[in-house]
Amino acid sequence: MTNMRMTEQDLGVRENKIEARGVDVFYADTHAIKAVDVDILDNTVTSFIGPSGCGKSTFLRCLNRMNDTIPICRVTGDIRMDGNDIYDRSIDPVQLRARVGMVFQKPNPFPKSIYDNVAYGPRIHGLVRDKAELDEVVEKSLRKASIWEEAKDRLDQPGTGLSGGQQQRLCIARAIATAPEVLLMDEPCSALDPIATAKIEELIDDLRTSFSVVIVTHSMQQAARVSQKTAFFHLGNLVEYGDTQKIFTNPEDQRTQDYITGRFG
Amino acid sequence: MPGLIILAILAIAAVFFSLSRARALNVSGGQLSNLHSRPFYHGLYSLLWVAIIGLGVFLTVLFLGSNLINMLLLGEAREAFPDGSTIEYQLLMNDARAIASGGIPSRVDTLREALAGKYATLENIYAMSLLILPAAAALLTGAVTLRQVDVNWRARNRAERVIRFILLGAAVIAVLTTIGIVLSLIFETLNFFNNIGWRVDKYLFGTRWSPLSGVHDGSMDADKVGAIPLFAGTFLITIIAMLVAVPVGLFAAIYLSDYASPKVRAWAKPMLEILAGVPTVVYGFFAAITVAPFIRRTGESLGLSVASESALAAGVVMGIMIIPFISSLSDDVINAVPQSLRDGSYGLGATKAETIRQVVLPAALPGIVSAVLLGISRAVGETMIVVMAAGQGANLTLNPLEAVTTVTVQIVMLITGDTEASTAAGPAFTLGFTLFCITLVLNVIALRVVRKYRELYD
Ligand SMILES: Nc1ncnc2c1ncn2[C@@H]1O[C@H](COP(=O)(O)OP(=O)(O)OP(=O)(O)O)[C@@H](O)[C@H]1O
Ligand SMILES: [Mg+2]
Repeated sequence: MTNMRMTEQDLGVRENKIEARGVDVFYADTHAIKAVDVDILDNTVTSFIGPSGCGKSTFLRCLNRMNDTIPICRVTGDIRMDGNDIYDRSIDPVQLRARVGMVFQKPNPFPKSIYDNVAYGPRIHGLVRDKAELDEVVEKSLRKASIWEEAKDRLDQPGTGLSGGQQQRLCIARAIATAPEVLLMDEPCSALDPIATAKIEELIDDLRTSFSVVIVTHSMQQAARVSQKTAFFHLGNLVEYGDTQKIFTNPEDQRTQDYITGRFG
Repeated sequence: MPGLIILAILAIAAVFFSLSRARALNVSGGQLSNLHSRPFYHGLYSLLWVAIIGLGVFLTVLFLGSNLINMLLLGEAREAFPDGSTIEYQLLMNDARAIASGGIPSRVDTLREALAGKYATLENIYAMSLLILPAAAALLTGAVTLRQVDVNWRARNRAERVIRFILLGAAVIAVLTTIGIVLSLIFETLNFFNNIGWRVDKYLFGTRWSPLSGVHDGSMDADKVGAIPLFAGTFLITIIAMLVAVPVGLFAAIYLSDYASPKVRAWAKPMLEILAGVPTVVYGFFAAITVAPFIRRTGESLGLSVASESALAAGVVMGIMIIPFISSLSDDVINAVPQSLRDGSYGLGATKAETIRQVVLPAALPGIVSAVLLGISRAVGETMIVVMAAGQGANLTLNPLEAVTTVTVQIVMLITGDTEASTAAGPAFTLGFTLFCITLVLNVIALRVVRKYRELYD
């Protein structure tokens, strides 16, 4: 809980990027998310914490409509991005996901070369005009994800041949290469060693200048280090949401208090 | 009778199984941990050996016995009636056998009666030994294995070794059968090449196929055994079939795995699999009676001349036949691509089509390639459809509207025709061998492709 990079006045100027109101999620009959209200601020890192199975990933997947790919999953409520309802009929989830990128809990590199993995998003969205520009985007993304040094000599080799932690950084590079406005990261550091974790945290802090970042994490220290806002989930409920500093030093709810002090989880 | 003997041997084996098990329990003195092997393994060891020895002796007597009788009788006959021809001896033996078993011989004389008497006694001895020898061997083996039961007897290890040899035996049978088939193909092929004076080039590159029209004195006219038209026909029909089967099958698989709702999938996939179970004869007359006339009529209304049996008809129907193989196998491999890869692609803002084309299909490629090659193997080897719908004349053409013939059709015609089998077998076996080589090469290529991509993506 040291190394707070945030100061209070930083937060004042931020606007709401995403507003969620009264969101409920059902998997068939399982009520996984119950009436959750959250604001994700622009240029801010928001962390979702809570015990396993409380619905952090589920809620995260609502924000870029990844839950659409699960047939039994049903989302109700209102989620707005820049004021527009993202579940509106006129919204194309494909375009939404290009703006709201995602890094998954388990690394999932494509069975392609490292280069093609990173170039995937820029190519399908036509973000680059020529090969030189693409090379530049790929290198920049790999550098930001701090995997350039390990990958630069084997760009044409399959991404699946990397180690688990390298694969996760590759997936992060792949997500930032698409230049999203919001980046959702589901436990991005769970497979990483402390050095790589520190680099990713640095990256997250950098990303804050251009995107807003939502990160799910099981590490209280990580949440405290990288985020300015924290949401605590428990059994599908959003128990407490507020400034990270406040949540970790002076939580209002007893359950939050118990969780961050390690009394249950 | 032989069935009963086999049952008896198995019964003896079962009895010794329980005897040995009981004895093992007995020597353990009620303390199972004294035994090296559990009683079950002592029983199993007895059972395996009794069954192996009993059945082995039975089969040996069965095969050797009748040959031995024949040899003995033939020796007798030669002594009494030297320098007859093979056919005369054959007749003699048949008559003797007929007399002995109360049939109708061609002639009765003293020699034949003497032989018949001899035959009857030998036959009796044979029947007796067929009964007694295997049973005796089984009982003896049983007794020996029963005596071996002891606290320190390593029955488990030994029983497992026996089982390993039984498995090895099965594998050896499978391999030997393959080798036998290949060798007989090679042998007949060499024979045929010898027959055409080693003009292998004429076979491989000749363009006239009419092998039986040029036979004289057992040798063939090398100018009439050119296999090119047949392979061209096979090639043409295979291409047409794959042009139908690969896109339709693959697209169906993609639809089923990634677009169809679970409900649609639940009935559509079994439907496709039923299609795979339709006998090819049915496809054949479907091609000949429905599709070929339809193509002909359509062609004529467009001012094209279409033969009533055409490569197109056979190829299209064959393609339909192959669709379920390709779609079913591809559907399985496409489904095996992990959902997390699709999620990764969707998460980057890719559409369904982009995801399938750029992530799912490349990941499933090895499986799809092997599905396609399997389909090609089927097309190349398919017979019934082409026999009925493609024609019989060995035309050298690449026009799909004309009648062509294929390798398999010609093999059928050679073997089922009224030419003597020994003459027709040569070209038929040679065609079969060539076809075998082609499919083998295809399979090897398929394996290579698959392995290459496996390395890349695993
Ligand atoms: N695809 C699914 N089908 C059915 N139920 C699901 C599905 N995904 C999640 N759930 C259920 O929804 C609830 C919330 O799951 P979720 O994955 O969001 O938890 P989480 O907070 O991310 O947990 P963890 O920290 O372990 O990743 C759980 O009870 C889970 O069983
Ligand atoms: Mg999760």
